[in-house]
Amino acid sequence: MWSTNLRIIGVVLGTLALYTLIANKIPQVQSEVPHALTLGANVTPEQLVSAGDQLFHGAGGCTACHGLGTRAPNLLTDEKGAGPIGARCGKREAGKDCKAYLYESLVSPKAYVVQGYEPIMPEMGRILSPQQIWALVAFLESNGGTVDVTASDIPASNAPAAAPPPAGGSSGGGIAGGSTDPMTIIRGAGCTGCHTVKGEGGKIGPDLTHVGSRLSSALIRECILKPDTRVAKGYEKFVGVMPKMFGNQLTGAQLEALVQFLSSQK
Amino acid sequence: MADGMLLQAVADTANTYPDFPLIGSRAAVWIAAEVHLMFAAFVLGVPMFAVVTEAIGIATKDARYDRLSKEFTRLLLVAYSATAIWGAILVFILSTLWMKPWGYLTKVFAPSMWLYAALFFFESFTLYLYYYGWERWKYGRSKIVHVGLGVLLNVWGTIVMLIANSWLTYMMTPPRDITPTTDPSSIKLWHAIANATWMPINIHRLIANVVFGGAIVGAYASYRFLAAKTDEERAHYDWMGYVGNFIAISALIVLPFAGYWLGREIYQYDQSMGITMMGGFMSWLWVIQAFLIAVLFLAGNYYLWIGMGRIPGAERYQPYTKWLLVVLVLGALVWGTPHTMIADSRELAAMGGSHHPLLGALGVMSAKNTAVNLMILATFLSFLLYRRANIRQVVPWAQTGTRIQAAMFVIAAGIVLFFGIRGYFVEAIVRIGYSVYQVGAVLACIVFVTVIDVLMARGAQSLGAIQWGKMPPRSQYALFILAVTFTWLMGLMGFARSGIRQHWHVWQVLQDTSKYAATPALGYAAKMISLCVLIFLSLVAFVFWLGGLAEKSTFVPPISTVEAPHVEH
Repeated sequence: MWSTNLRIIGVVLGTLALYTLIANKIPQVQSEVPHALTLGANVTPEQLVSAGDQLFHGAGGCTACHGLGTRAPNLLTDEKGAGPIGARCGKREAGKDCKAYLYESLVSPKAYVVQGYEPIMPEMGRILSPQQIWALVAFLESNGGTVDVTASDIPASNAPAAAPPPAGGSSGGGIAGGSTDPMTIIRGAGCTGCHTVKGEGGKIGPDLTHVGSRLSSALIRECILKPDTRVAKGYEKFVGVMPKMFGNQLTGAQLEALVQFLSSQK
Repeated sequence: MADGMLLQAVADTANTYPDFPLIGSRAAVWIAAEVHLMFAAFVLGVPMFAVVTEAIGIATKDARYDRLSKEFTRLLLVAYSATAIWGAILVFILSTLWMKPWGYLTKVFAPSMWLYAALFFFESFTLYLYYYGWERWKYGRSKIVHVGLGVLLNVWGTIVMLIANSWLTYMMTPPRDITPTTDPSSIKLWHAIANATWMPINIHRLIANVVFGGAIVGAYASYRFLAAKTDEERAHYDWMGYVGNFIAISALIVLPFAGYWLGREIYQYDQSMGITMMGGFMSWLWVIQAFLIAVLFLAGNYYLWIGMGRIPGAERYQPYTKWLLVVLVLGALVWGTPHTMIADSRELAAMGGSHHPLLGALGVMSAKNTAVNLMILATFLSFLLYRRANIRQVVPWAQTGTRIQAAMFVIAAGIVLFFGIRGYFVEAIVRIGYSVYQVGAVLACIVFVTVIDVLMARGAQSLGAIQWGKMPPRSQYALFILAVTFTWLMGLMGFARSGIRQHWHVWQVLQDTSKYAATPALGYAAKMISLCVLIFLSLVAFVFWLGGLAEKSTFVPPISTVEAPHVEH
């Protein structure tokens, strides 16, 4: 009986050893944690580019898709004759310079999906700090373009990036400089990038022309603060596209002005 | 000032995440969670077929099934205690070493945790009633009540599993309106429970538990077979091993479909999470998984083919087994072909691009889905040949029926191949839909061919009874390999499910800021999985030994026909 027992133990240990050996023979890749960046007021473009390079090839996880040529556009090499990302970023969106485009496409990637690709990129503002995002912007600009990210772009706080985009954004006191004019807020917050308001804007999100006849004030407020809690019929595939940071960015007066304005659109 | 704040931050981190001596907190929680889960899967899977086996015994009036069912249940008694002990160890480790995520989860899920404890109590006492009432409620209506107790045991067990699944799936896929600033006590319980991956995980685990339970019971039977001293004992455990293997492989065949659903839900919830899982740092994991599943298919089929040696009439079908082997091996090779992997510049240069110039074409999902569906068809054919090995059909339409069955196999394989090849010429979104047609064709073939076979077997002429017990010992080692591989695979898939959260306790809501936040590479994970499997199997062997002791202590020898010697006073 002992010989049978020993044979059984041998089979079990041999099988375990084989699986462990095979798993240790293949390439070993560890998922790194993005380290917080501390960039001083005198940070140089070279330091930003270097930090962005490390994030791009490491903890940012960018290379899981970019550079394979199938899942996402090539960024560091030529993409369909337009050159690397630094050379083409300024021409992607009318009225947006390279820096603004790169920042926004990192924070709200689903609003800037390149034709021929799926909207699969995560909102990097949920994963990386503003300093890390700016470092990535600088690194991407350095690939075929000119780095114009400076210390003044980078907020002091290292909280996750939920900051407004540099173009059309505000420097404090709410969006659009704290203005309480509804259309100024709407344009400043970039709502018309997806929604149509008063005949102006895109068609990615629901048309807000008659939103007041469909939703109560309370629901409009809820949709601004928690966009994914109520999804309009037919827009299910765009869940997650609308940023969730307006509660932090709008002042109380701005939020109420916006709610009242949209409620009146009947 | 800045130094002071830094020191305070370090102190906070140390207080939030105390470390475990020698092996560290990560290894401690890994071992506790994994071994607990393995026992939990065993005690949830075994009752399912214990009660089904008992019901079959009632329906067929075959006492072997009742004995088998009771033997399964006896193994459960000690296994329940082991599950509870490891569960308690896990809770203590979480509440002392991982206070941050544990505190967060208790704020969200506290009421469900109280219910969980109460249900475990009910489950345990239902098990005691079920086992200890076996002989008392053995006949007539009381037997039906006894089966009802078995069903109730499964109901408690399934609800316990659903509750625990809600906690871990919430950590993976918390509802999207929950953000880092959301107060966990304000989250509605049902909202947290009914998250995106809860139901897919429930279904996947339910099936996987049956697979796992079947494999462990198969290993138990093979051990008892090898240790058997009489032909009768050997015959019983040979049959038990066959039943365990049959259940494990049958459930394994449908498991990939549940896996596809889970994968789709992960992608729909967050594409980046799906990409991390399939193409990011975990991409190599699927090559290992393909290898393990290839071992399962090969070992399961090998056991069946050897088993045909003890069936009179099976020699008619043995020439086909080599072709089935060819399909299985080729399928396994395609399934294990890497495609889009994390690679460094040196590796990319060596390949000449992101994919291998020749083998890259076999690494895409079109080829892999085709391979695995053909492997499932081949395994089903093995079962079918085994099933009809010792009978000769006498129904007048037997030849036509066999031809229809063969045509169904050809059509199913044709559909699988057609969509597999066509998948190369369409966009990804269309290609994903093709897997549904492939799976549908295989499932339809399995269902219709089985129905035809059952009808054809009516009144069939027997070519001789299966000679249970006449199996070479090497067949039993195949069952051991199946059990070890299933257990290891469970550990690997657990690592995949948990690891895709990366450095988040709760995905994008609660960050892991401990020194173990980085998700380790596969090599480290493999060592941990092997260690957990070894601990689990050692304890299970102890449980089996205890089961054997209990059997000996209650063993009543048959009444001797020889009279006791008369003693003169």
